[in-house]
Amino acid sequence: MPSHGPAPSDVVLRTVGLTKRYGRLLAVADLDLEVRRGQVYGFLGPNGSGKTTTIGMILGILRPNRGHVELFGLDARQHLAAVLRRTGAVMESPSFYPHLSGRANLRIFALLSGGVSRRRIDEVLDLVGLLGRAASKVRTYSMGMRQRLALAAALMHDPELVVLDEPTNGLDPAGMREVRQLIRNLGQMGKAVFVSSHLLHEVEQTCTDVGILKQGRLLAQQPVSELLQRGQALELEVTDAERAMAVLRGLDWVGELTRNDNRLLVQVPPERAVDISRVLAEHGIYLAELRPHHNTLEEFFLEVTGGEEPL
Amino acid sequence: MISLLASELLKVRGRWLPWILSVVLAALLALTIFGPYLSWRGSGTQSLEEFEQQSFVLPWSLAAILDTVHGVGAILLAVVAASFVGTEYGWGTVRSCLIRGQTRPRYLAAKLLGLAVVGLIFLAVAFALGLIFTLVTTRLAERPITLDVPAGPSPAEVPLMFLRTVYAVLPYVLLAFFLAEAFHSTAAAVGGSLIYTFVEGILLAVLGGIGGRAADMRLLFIGHHVNAVLELNRIGVGPIQAGFVLRPRPEAADLLDPAQATLALALYCLFFVGASLWLFQRRDVRS
Ligand SMILES: Nc1ncnc2c1ncn2[C@@H]1O[C@H](COP(=O)(O)OP(=O)(O)O)[C@@H](O)[C@H]1O
Ligand SMILES: [Mg+2]
Repeated sequence: MPSHGPAPSDVVLRTVGLTKRYGRLLAVADLDLEVRRGQVYGFLGPNGSGKTTTIGMILGILRPNRGHVELFGLDARQHLAAVLRRTGAVMESPSFYPHLSGRANLRIFALLSGGVSRRRIDEVLDLVGLLGRAASKVRTYSMGMRQRLALAAALMHDPELVVLDEPTNGLDPAGMREVRQLIRNLGQMGKAVFVSSHLLHEVEQTCTDVGILKQGRLLAQQPVSELLQRGQALELEVTDAERAMAVLRGLDWVGELTRNDNRLLVQVPPERAVDISRVLAEHGIYLAELRPHHNTLEEFFLEVTGGEEPL
Repeated sequence: MISLLASELLKVRGRWLPWILSVVLAALLALTIFGPYLSWRGSGTQSLEEFEQQSFVLPWSLAAILDTVHGVGAILLAVVAASFVGTEYGWGTVRSCLIRGQTRPRYLAAKLLGLAVVGLIFLAVAFALGLIFTLVTTRLAERPITLDVPAGPSPAEVPLMFLRTVYAVLPYVLLAFFLAEAFHSTAAAVGGSLIYTFVEGILLAVLGGIGGRAADMRLLFIGHHVNAVLELNRIGVGPIQAGFVLRPRPEAADLLDPAQATLALALYCLFFVGASLWLFQRRDVRS
């Protein structure tokens, strides 16, 4: 498949028309994704929206009914072994050999990947904070410890693309914070990270880009910074909302306007507050209240998903 | 491939199943050899009936040992194969292996290779143990320890007899392997192959008894071909007391041509491996 779009060599993961059915249920519908080097891409969607199914298809363990996956510019189906060696993944509820130690499990996976030294295994065990328990059987690990071991397995061969399916599941708050920091670091190291989550604030905190999935369809895909900029607004209460609307509409530096009785929501950077009050005063309109309004990703999420709660 | 095999063997480490099964096999082997010996001792006679000689005196007892190694080995290794394949589905570790870039054909090949190593060690240890047992009984019965009897094997033929036995174990193990792959379950594969082995033994006897067209239907069963191959291990023609073998002792006239039977077993093996790969390739991997 020839690549297209800007800087094609930077595109590490691309899906084209990816579709998966389970019987009559359309789990993933015509999905087009693009993830570049250095991006931390948050794949956000409520439970059952098709995140795990998508990741299964990306990693070649589920067969799409239609469409295909490209990894590093290669057709993933045809070059599966080669592209997966450059990829590290944490699956949903990761699985290990329960009768073996955490370290022995990593050794098995290291043999499959090739080129991972014993020292490197201890290094990643240390990175995820499991070095002290590396000799214990995985059977005795908590859910959070398994999640950490899976992260170690995903990172030990220094992959260029990291695919994570809800990696903070089962972690305590401190663990979540560590893993989020780790994900951010991976992005800063220039790796491409594709991480699914049903937690908005997690994506907001850790990701550079977000794709929103609902019932198997990608509703929106854009940089988180743009979203947050979009989210910058001022909330005002005025004496004459009708006229205020008319005045503000005439200003080219004011974005979208929404009205609720005497209250207006004005999409505009907060530092424009002074300008707003001056302009309105010039037209004889006075402010009863003016405060910054932080539009969160949550509002965007609710907007695009049509009001469905993410959790 | 070396590292894939190493990873397979690492997975076996710390599993107790092969050890338990080894103990079971050792106990049954001891019973095969020492059972007839003790009952002969109990009878107080010095002379040996032909079947007694076949049961625990070298070199005739080689066939009895190998029959037990085959009969019990086929069942136990089927359990091992079912478990090797099935537990990975139970644990969900198939996924973990495949997402590391192990292709599906390589995954199956590594499994087969690991199974071959474990199985070969298992059967070789069993054969060696049987040899030790029968050396003891032969000495206790004050008979000479020699291969040099009428129709006895040459020293070079003894390893061949063993390999023949290993070969005849193979289709049952691969049947279990295939069932585990088909049903993604250890229990289904163990159950399936046990039922098959049991039903096959009965059907072969019944169909053979009916004769005619019905007897020809035995060609469909693995055991009929196995009988022909294992018959080559027999020294002399006397009946033997094969306590743990479900296969009925065949009539000489009833046996297939060994070369043809060897080929038929190879086809069974190819079918089971091919079908496993085909299923594995085209299905989603879920745990
Ligand atoms: N093996 C399966 N068989 C049938 N339906 C499935 C299977 N796996 C997932 N689904 C369905 O597909 C949809 C998407 O599931 P999933 O990808 O696990 O969502 P998410 O990971 O976003 O929670 C859900 O409706 C789920 O019930
Ligand atoms: Mg999921």
